[in-house]
Amino acid sequence: MSLQSSFIQIFISHIKREFLINFRSLVDVIAIISFMILIVTLFVLGIGPFEEKLKLISNAIFWIGLILAIIPSLEKTLQKDYDNGWLDQATTSPTPMELILLSKSLAYWLIVIIPLLISLPLFIVLLNIKLKLIPWLLISLLIGGLSISLIGIIGSALTLGAKRGNILLPILIIPLIIPILIFGVGISEAVRINESPLGNLFLLIGFTLIYLVISPFISAFLIRIAISR
Amino acid sequence: MLYLKDVTIKRGLKTVFYNWSATIENSKVTIISGKNGVGKSTLLRAIAGMIPIEKGIVKNHDNEIFKDKIKWGQNLIYIDSKNGLSKDLTVFENLKTWSEMRGWKTSDNDLQKALDSVDMLNHKNLYVSQCSEGLKKRAALSRLYLSLLFDVGFWLLDEPTNELDQKSIILFNKLIQRFLENKGTILLACHELKLFNFNYELLNLDLLKKKN
Repeated sequence: MSLQSSFIQIFISHIKREFLINFRSLVDVIAIISFMILIVTLFVLGIGPFEEKLKLISNAIFWIGLILAIIPSLEKTLQKDYDNGWLDQATTSPTPMELILLSKSLAYWLIVIIPLLISLPLFIVLLNIKLKLIPWLLISLLIGGLSISLIGIIGSALTLGAKRGNILLPILIIPLIIPILIFGVGISEAVRINESPLGNLFLLIGFTLIYLVISPFISAFLIRIAISR
Repeated sequence: MLYLKDVTIKRGLKTVFYNWSATIENSKVTIISGKNGVGKSTLLRAIAGMIPIEKGIVKNHDNEIFKDKIKWGQNLIYIDSKNGLSKDLTVFENLKTWSEMRGWKTSDNDLQKALDSVDMLNHKNLYVSQCSEGLKKRAALSRLYLSLLFDVGFWLLDEPTNELDQKSIILFNKLIQRFLENKGTILLACHELKLFNFNYELLNLDLLKKKN
């Protein structure tokens, strides 16, 4: 009998740990969703009762709302474990840091995306999103959400131990998120004007795959620096 | 034998150790002492692989330890004042996730025995956010019992006795005794030497640094 679990088992047990922590105190998850609902509502109320205006910018509102709602919670993903010493335990363990961080970003993605999907009907009504757009919105939300959480982990690792991390973080990662925003909105816009959204979708997938490969390595490197201070 | 040769360790801009050598005997307890700020924690963190060693080599027998970080990671347990416990999980869940993170397959029975070894079984379903400092430290030290079941050779402990009460210190001594029977090596940074009822080597950083 082998006493050592495989990397896959370690990976899954890590995702379980993140779920346990995040769904026990639902505050963070509720904060993301309610913040997004607030941003979208403010936009819709600000535009006034003009359907034409809303039609033009509803996709942009959705994506900007998503990004702005996720960013405040990104900082905490690593900061908590850094403060309580869990990351020290992870560095002095045989498990590679990259694996831990990959599972962390995937877990974060699932934790954010599941409540977002549940509240999606509300956004569809609020933003008057057309029925044919919904499947594409779902796909782009899933893929875009993954890359936002992968980028977010880099930013979170970068601001570990920084005094004003919560201010620094958005400034650092919003430039990296811009391509996601452009291609995400591009998909919905293409569907709206009856063009093929595949080009934008493939570019979005491409970006996500690049971040999927580099994000664990970059953030593991940054965490090692933060720990060695 | 853990063998440090001509090591230079920096912490930020400050050079804490410069061309410094020491040997640490295997299968024994070595207590690192010295005044505050002399570099006890830095030395432990460097050996654990968290602070890079700028120059020099650290050897365990004939193997350079940082050449194979995974193997070295399997071989050591590091516990410091931060404990590494997540506030939102219970004591039991923390121990379970920790052993899973190291890739150990432990049964619930093993975990309960580990908690029992530091007298934490009554508190196993307590959230760590509700624990006192002493309870947290005991929860962290319960990992040491788990490491007895697996092939771990080194314990690096940074002031483990700070928050412990009399009874816990006796239990802690018992754990150390068992580890020594398993031919384990313990490196311990501590101020109060009278707490321990076993033979130890003393590595006094104040004296050693003057000599170099």
